[in-house]
Amino acid sequence: MEKHLNRVMEEITNQPGVYGCVLSDHQGLCLGAHGQASTESSGVITALAEQALKLEPKSVMPIISLENDNRQLIIRRHGVLTCGIYKSVCN
Amino acid sequence: MDRKSNQTGYLVLNEEGAVLSSSGELENDEKTANVIMGMINLTSQIDSVAFPPEEGFKKLSIVYDDHCYIVCLSNKKVHIVKKSIDNTDSIPVTA
Repeated sequence: MEKHLNRVMEEITNQPGVYGCVLSDHQGLCLGAHGQASTESSGVITALAEQALKLEPKSVMPIISLENDNRQLIIRRHGVLTCGIYKSVCN
Repeated sequence: MDRKSNQTGYLVLNEEGAVLSSSGELENDEKTANVIMGMINLTSQIDSVAFPPEEGFKKLSIVYDDHCYIVCLSNKKVHIVKKSIDNTDSIPVTA
Protein backbone atom coordinates (compact mmCIF):
# COMPACT_ATOMS: atom_id res chain seq x y z
CA MET A 1 0.00 0.00 0.00
CA GLU A 2 2.80 2.35 0.87
CA LYS A 3 4.44 1.84 -2.51
CA HIS A 4 1.15 2.65 -4.23
CA LEU A 5 0.69 5.80 -2.12
CA ASN A 6 4.23 6.90 -2.87
CA ARG A 7 3.61 6.40 -6.58
CA VAL A 8 0.41 8.46 -6.44
CA MET A 9 2.18 11.25 -4.52
CA GLU A 10 5.02 11.21 -7.03
CA GLU A 11 2.52 11.50 -9.89
CA ILE A 12 0.84 14.46 -8.18
CA THR A 13 4.15 16.21 -7.55
CA ASN A 14 5.17 15.73 -11.19
CA GLN A 15 2.20 17.81 -12.38
CA PRO A 16 3.10 21.29 -13.70
CA GLY A 17 3.52 23.83 -10.90
CA VAL A 18 3.10 21.31 -8.08
CA TYR A 19 5.99 21.30 -5.62
CA GLY A 20 4.64 19.18 -2.80
CA CYS A 21 1.79 17.08 -1.48
CA VAL A 22 0.64 15.58 1.81
CA LEU A 23 -1.79 12.73 2.41
CA SER A 24 -3.46 12.22 5.77
CA ASP A 25 -6.11 9.95 7.28
CA HIS A 26 -9.39 10.98 8.97
CA GLN A 27 -7.59 11.54 12.28
CA GLY A 28 -5.06 13.86 10.73
CA LEU A 29 -2.26 11.33 10.92
CA CYS A 30 0.21 11.59 8.08
CA LEU A 31 0.17 8.82 5.48
CA GLY A 32 2.89 10.41 3.41
CA ALA A 33 4.47 13.62 2.20
CA HIS A 34 6.31 14.20 -1.06
CA GLY A 35 8.31 17.08 -2.44
CA GLN A 36 8.63 20.34 -0.53
CA ALA A 37 6.03 19.55 2.14
CA SER A 38 6.41 18.48 5.73
CA THR A 39 4.56 15.64 7.43
CA GLU A 40 3.60 18.03 10.26
CA SER A 41 0.99 19.81 8.13
CA SER A 42 -1.23 16.72 7.79
CA GLY A 43 -3.17 17.51 10.99
CA VAL A 44 -3.97 21.07 9.92
CA ILE A 45 -5.04 19.94 6.45
CA THR A 46 -7.47 17.39 7.91
CA ALA A 47 -8.74 19.98 10.44
CA LEU A 48 -9.41 22.46 7.60
CA ALA A 49 -11.30 19.79 5.63
CA GLU A 50 -13.34 18.88 8.75
CA GLN A 51 -14.13 22.54 9.37
CA ALA A 52 -15.24 23.07 5.75
CA LEU A 53 -17.55 20.08 6.05
CA LYS A 54 -19.46 21.94 8.80
CA LEU A 55 -20.30 24.73 6.34
CA GLU A 56 -22.79 22.63 4.39
CA PRO A 57 -22.96 19.17 5.98
CA LYS A 58 -25.46 17.91 3.39
CA SER A 59 -23.38 18.89 0.36
CA VAL A 60 -20.51 16.93 -1.13
CA MET A 61 -17.07 17.72 0.25
CA PRO A 62 -15.85 21.01 -1.27
CA ILE A 63 -12.41 21.83 -2.63
CA ILE A 64 -10.59 24.25 -0.35
CA SER A 65 -8.04 26.59 -1.84
CA LEU A 66 -5.70 28.96 0.00
CA GLU A 67 -3.77 31.40 -2.13
CA ASN A 68 -1.27 34.20 -2.03
CA ASP A 69 0.54 35.89 -4.91
CA ASN A 70 3.02 33.04 -5.45
CA ARG A 71 1.59 29.88 -3.97
CA GLN A 72 -1.59 27.89 -3.65
CA LEU A 73 -2.66 25.08 -1.34
CA ILE A 74 -5.52 22.89 -2.57
CA ILE A 75 -7.23 20.55 -0.11
CA ARG A 76 -9.64 17.81 -1.10
CA ARG A 77 -11.08 15.12 1.11
CA HIS A 78 -12.16 11.83 -0.40
CA GLY A 79 -13.64 9.32 2.05
CA VAL A 80 -11.19 9.02 4.94
CA LEU A 81 -8.29 10.42 2.93
CA THR A 82 -7.39 14.10 2.81
CA CYS A 83 -4.94 15.36 0.24
CA GLY A 84 -3.13 18.69 0.33
CA ILE A 85 -1.41 19.86 -2.86
CA TYR A 86 1.05 22.75 -2.85
CA LYS A 87 1.30 24.62 -6.14
CA SER A 88 3.21 27.63 -7.32
CA VAL A 89 1.09 30.20 -9.12
CA CYS A 90 2.39 31.85 -12.29
CA ASN A 91 1.19 35.42 -12.72
CA MET B 1 -21.37 44.77 -2.98
CA ASP B 2 -24.86 43.50 -3.79
CA ARG B 3 -24.35 43.96 -7.49
CA LYS B 4 -21.39 41.64 -8.11
CA SER B 5 -22.16 39.09 -10.83
CA ASN B 6 -23.51 35.70 -9.70
CA GLN B 7 -23.29 36.77 -6.07
CA THR B 8 -25.99 35.25 -3.88
CA GLY B 9 -24.95 36.70 -0.53
CA TYR B 10 -22.18 38.33 1.46
CA LEU B 11 -20.93 38.74 5.01
CA VAL B 12 -18.51 41.27 6.47
CA LEU B 13 -16.98 40.31 9.83
CA ASN B 14 -14.62 42.10 12.19
CA GLU B 15 -11.40 40.45 13.39
CA GLU B 16 -13.24 38.73 16.26
CA GLY B 17 -15.75 37.17 13.85
CA ALA B 18 -18.74 39.37 14.71
CA VAL B 19 -21.08 40.14 11.80
CA LEU B 20 -20.81 43.79 10.71
CA SER B 21 -23.01 43.55 7.65
CA SER B 22 -24.63 40.84 5.59
CA SER B 23 -27.02 40.28 2.72
CA GLY B 24 -28.81 37.65 0.61
CA GLU B 25 -28.35 33.97 1.50
CA LEU B 26 -25.76 34.89 4.13
CA GLU B 27 -27.93 37.42 5.94
CA ASN B 28 -27.13 37.20 9.68
CA ASP B 29 -25.59 33.77 9.04
CA GLU B 30 -23.51 33.44 12.20
CA LYS B 31 -22.98 29.73 11.67
CA THR B 32 -21.14 30.33 8.37
CA ALA B 33 -19.24 33.18 10.04
CA ASN B 34 -18.07 30.91 12.87
CA VAL B 35 -17.04 28.06 10.55
CA ILE B 36 -15.05 30.40 8.29
CA MET B 37 -13.39 32.14 11.25
CA GLY B 38 -12.40 28.66 12.48
CA MET B 39 -10.79 27.97 9.09
CA ILE B 40 -8.96 31.32 9.07
CA ASN B 41 -7.57 30.61 12.53
CA LEU B 42 -6.27 27.25 11.32
CA THR B 43 -4.40 28.77 8.37
CA SER B 44 -1.77 30.27 10.67
CA GLN B 45 -0.52 26.75 11.45
CA ILE B 46 -0.03 25.60 7.87
CA ASP B 47 3.22 24.03 6.71
CA SER B 48 6.06 26.47 7.28
CA VAL B 49 8.24 24.56 4.78
CA ALA B 50 5.83 24.77 1.84
CA PHE B 51 4.28 28.10 2.80
CA PRO B 52 6.68 30.52 4.48
CA PRO B 53 4.74 32.15 7.40
CA GLU B 54 5.88 35.65 6.39
CA GLU B 55 4.02 35.32 3.06
CA GLY B 56 0.61 34.53 4.60
CA PHE B 57 -2.56 34.00 2.60
CA LYS B 58 -4.60 36.43 0.57
CA LYS B 59 -7.61 34.42 -0.45
CA LEU B 60 -9.50 31.39 0.82
CA SER B 61 -11.97 29.68 -1.50
CA ILE B 62 -14.37 26.87 -0.65
CA VAL B 63 -15.67 25.49 -3.92
CA TYR B 64 -18.73 23.25 -4.37
CA ASP B 65 -20.11 21.96 -7.69
CA ASP B 66 -22.49 24.86 -8.31
CA HIS B 67 -21.47 27.55 -5.84
CA CYS B 68 -18.51 28.77 -3.85
CA TYR B 69 -17.46 30.93 -0.93
CA ILE B 70 -14.63 33.41 -1.45
CA VAL B 71 -13.01 34.84 1.68
CA CYS B 72 -10.45 37.62 1.91
CA LEU B 73 -9.14 39.96 4.56
CA SER B 74 -9.14 43.69 3.91
CA ASN B 75 -8.99 46.74 6.18
CA LYS B 76 -9.05 44.48 9.30
CA LYS B 77 -12.33 43.02 8.14
CA VAL B 78 -13.15 39.56 6.80
CA HIS B 79 -15.17 39.68 3.59
CA ILE B 80 -17.08 36.54 2.63
CA VAL B 81 -18.92 36.31 -0.69
CA LYS B 82 -21.13 33.42 -1.72
CA LYS B 83 -21.33 33.03 -5.50
CA SER B 84 -23.14 30.67 -7.79
CA ILE B 85 -20.95 29.07 -10.41
CA ASP B 86 -22.33 29.30 -13.88
CA ASN B 87 -20.42 26.59 -15.73
CA THR B 88 -21.20 28.13 -19.11
CA ASP B 89 -19.07 31.13 -18.07
CA SER B 90 -15.91 29.05 -18.24
CA ILE B 91 -16.32 28.34 -21.97
CA PRO B 92 -14.32 30.97 -23.83
CA VAL B 93 -16.15 32.75 -26.61
CA THR B 94 -14.13 32.63 -29.81
CA ALA B 95 -16.10 34.70 -32.28
